[in-house]
Amino acid sequence: MTQTQETLNGTLHKTPRRPLVLHIFKIYYPDLFGGTLTVIRDICASLKDAFSSAVLVCSQSAERREIIVNDVPVERVRSFGNVMSLPAAPAYPWRLWRKIAEHDLLALHAPFPLADLVFAFGFGANRPLVVHWHADIVSHAGLRWFIEPLMRRTLRRAKAIIVSDHVLVDNTPLLREFEDKCHVVPFGIDTSGYDWPKIEPHHVNDRGRLVLACGRLVPYKGFDVLIRAAAAHNFETWIIGEGAERPRLEQLIEELGLGERVRLLGSVSDSERVKLMCLADVFVMPSVTNAETFGLVQLEAMAAGRPVVNTALDTAVPHVARHGMEAITVPPGDAEKLGEAIDTLIRDPERRRRMGLSARTRALTRYSASAFKQGMETVYRDAVAASSAERSPTSEPPQATGWLDTVRIAAALAWSDMRHRYVRSLLGPFWMSLQMAIVVAVLGSVIGQMSNANMMARLPMLALSMTAWTFLNSVVLDATTALQNSASLIRDRALPPVIFLLQCTFRQALFALHNACVPLLLWLVLSPHDLSHALAALPGLLLFIACTFALSLVLGALATRYRDLKPIIESTLMLAFLASPVIWSSDMINHRSTVMRINPLTHLFAVWREPLAGAPIDPTSIVYVLITLALLIFASVLTLVHLRKAAFWI
Amino acid sequence: MVSISLRNICLDYPLYGAYDFSLKRRLLGHLIREPGEMRIIRAVDNFTIEAEAGARIGLAGPNGSGKSTLLRLIAGVYPPSSGSIAVQGNVMPLLGLNAGVNLDFVAEDNIALLLRIGGRKPTRSVIDDIWAFTELETRMQRLPLRMFSSGMLMRVLFATATAFPADILLLDEWLSVVDEHFAEKAEGRLLNLVSQAAIVMIASHDQKLLRRTCSSIINLDHGRIASTVAVEPPATHSLELREKRA
Repeated sequence: MTQTQETLNGTLHKTPRRPLVLHIFKIYYPDLFGGTLTVIRDICASLKDAFSSAVLVCSQSAERREIIVNDVPVERVRSFGNVMSLPAAPAYPWRLWRKIAEHDLLALHAPFPLADLVFAFGFGANRPLVVHWHADIVSHAGLRWFIEPLMRRTLRRAKAIIVSDHVLVDNTPLLREFEDKCHVVPFGIDTSGYDWPKIEPHHVNDRGRLVLACGRLVPYKGFDVLIRAAAAHNFETWIIGEGAERPRLEQLIEELGLGERVRLLGSVSDSERVKLMCLADVFVMPSVTNAETFGLVQLEAMAAGRPVVNTALDTAVPHVARHGMEAITVPPGDAEKLGEAIDTLIRDPERRRRMGLSARTRALTRYSASAFKQGMETVYRDAVAASSAERSPTSEPPQATGWLDTVRIAAALAWSDMRHRYVRSLLGPFWMSLQMAIVVAVLGSVIGQMSNANMMARLPMLALSMTAWTFLNSVVLDATTALQNSASLIRDRALPPVIFLLQCTFRQALFALHNACVPLLLWLVLSPHDLSHALAALPGLLLFIACTFALSLVLGALATRYRDLKPIIESTLMLAFLASPVIWSSDMINHRSTVMRINPLTHLFAVWREPLAGAPIDPTSIVYVLITLALLIFASVLTLVHLRKAAFWI
Repeated sequence: MVSISLRNICLDYPLYGAYDFSLKRRLLGHLIREPGEMRIIRAVDNFTIEAEAGARIGLAGPNGSGKSTLLRLIAGVYPPSSGSIAVQGNVMPLLGLNAGVNLDFVAEDNIALLLRIGGRKPTRSVIDDIWAFTELETRMQRLPLRMFSSGMLMRVLFATATAFPADILLLDEWLSVVDEHFAEKAEGRLLNLVSQAAIVMIASHDQKLLRRTCSSIINLDHGRIASTVAVEPPATHSLELREKRA
């Protein structure tokens, strides 16, 4: 056996190429604006000296797939709308898998279950992963039981988890499990853009004081609460942002008769937003759920020297701007308290000034862009360095034995199994052929009684079908115990487990050749000899064998990992057999039942039986079998990845 | 170039209890929110070793200290949980003697099959050489292994396993299983095999054997390197002294 594994730390000593970071998220500019995107953009921009970044996201627009945003290449995978807050982008996992190989570091911006799915299947295990924990899943909590194990798997394999505040670790049970991996890197803000000359607010607005809020118009931002709070007080409210909630909010404003005082400004440019922030008297963040983890906009408002009114969420929100120092914190969703808090600030210019000043100081010192950059860079560097130092051999598949050797050893083992049958009996496997002959004779006579068709002409096909069925059935059943039976060879001689699953197919193929003498004899005696039909059946037969092997590979591994699967597999196979036209041909039943048409076994037999009988194959069958094979091959690839762990299971 | 390089290797060995093998149980556990806590034992803990051609490494330590697991890890049986592993050369793992034996087969066929598993072509002359080493009667080649006494069986298996040299030889508790009369000859053959291999790693409780065959001995404890002792080939005097004091 040869083990050639490239020493990967060699890459460390090469020229200092900037490591490639792949940012993984669901959406990016220009399709949306928002806090998370700002963070991704800032990371890409601030780390550009040390890392070169790329972004992989989904997009509903049919425009160009590859675009450049702020010097960063962005690939946008076509999405067909949103299903439960997730983009329906079937090609995304595939693109992600392809992209993983080209990058040195993966930065997943969670939550994004579509990417978790890819990692859960074990793809990309050879690249270091850093998870940016932006928020927990708050909407669609009913799906948690399904999503959470996926997220846990992702977090387990992550090198580091980045959160904006330690309170997130304390309040998120899932993160607490991985506390030692969590790194707190508070978002940073470049305050230089906020040094606007003071504009005296009352020159701009005579009707009252200006209250500003900013965010996507989505339910969790709680803008409806702000609008209701505005109704009871006399201040001007401007809301920056766009989103699906707009019609509802507009309706609410109209109902409350606030058209004069509350304005939805829509999306505005960055510089415009900064200007508005410097203009406002009070900045409000009325978010109502923990989906708001940090509130980057309130940090912007703080940089602009504005006092903040925020909500007492279990996240970093009330920690960024603290109650009584930079902000007044009110219970989330409480319009009355929110209105009172805003009013307090409006009526007290001195307090506004003081709070604004301390807000700006805090933004400058605690949330500086340089600290953010440094923290991010450290985590990224450590992740890349740790992974090159301890990159597991998964990166280069440890092909302990070449494929050819695998096949050769499996063949030798199968051959010896067959010889074993001859050791103590003269007939060897032909005993089984004899049994087969008896089964065919009995079945033939019974079926002959049931239908009035000419049974004799049908006997060869019946015998052949039974042979094929016996082959499939035994291969799968053998495979369920194959790994356990070969435990010592796997553990003590380090043979790859796949050998023993292949051995099952080879062994049963040898036995099937023995059994095949029954249909062969019947065919020679009973049928007109037409070899061209046999040739036409060959491709179908190969498909049948390929499906059988793939099925045995997948089920064999699964049944080894989960021992209670074996009886289930046994009974399912029996059911599939009974619900398929193996013993009877399709024309015996005039209209095939739905179950029979759904049963893949029906089509798996049809693709070679029909041409053998000289009939054309139903295209449905071909499509069905090809789809089945594709699925099985996909499952087999997954299985092969996981078979590395088979030694633990046996 | 033959070499073994392990850096900061850790192996978390999952301990599957009876319930962990049940898919139904696992799915149910998800539904009733029972935390399916998998028990894990760290079988190899932050192990680093660099071995070049010529290294003779002995692994010592109490039962369960991770000797066999480490050898299996190098052989590629277990994937490491973390760390980098790079093995160059032809690895011959001889960790259990009985692997791949079919007692119903005649001795000759078993030898042929074992050689095939090892990737060798079983020719007549190779089998005859192996048989000569066992010192068993030629007609016994045609007998099923079931009829052999355990000592005879060991002779056959040992002779077969050691018939071909390998670049990297991984041995686990080897000579202890060979019967007494055969032991001396077996050790000679093993030493010969060891001398041909570029790298040898032997896990054993037999300190004397390790000192005779190895250039350095690694004492393992709970998967960690407790100590590394370099063995001076001729004079093992100081070591014996230390052992007496201990």
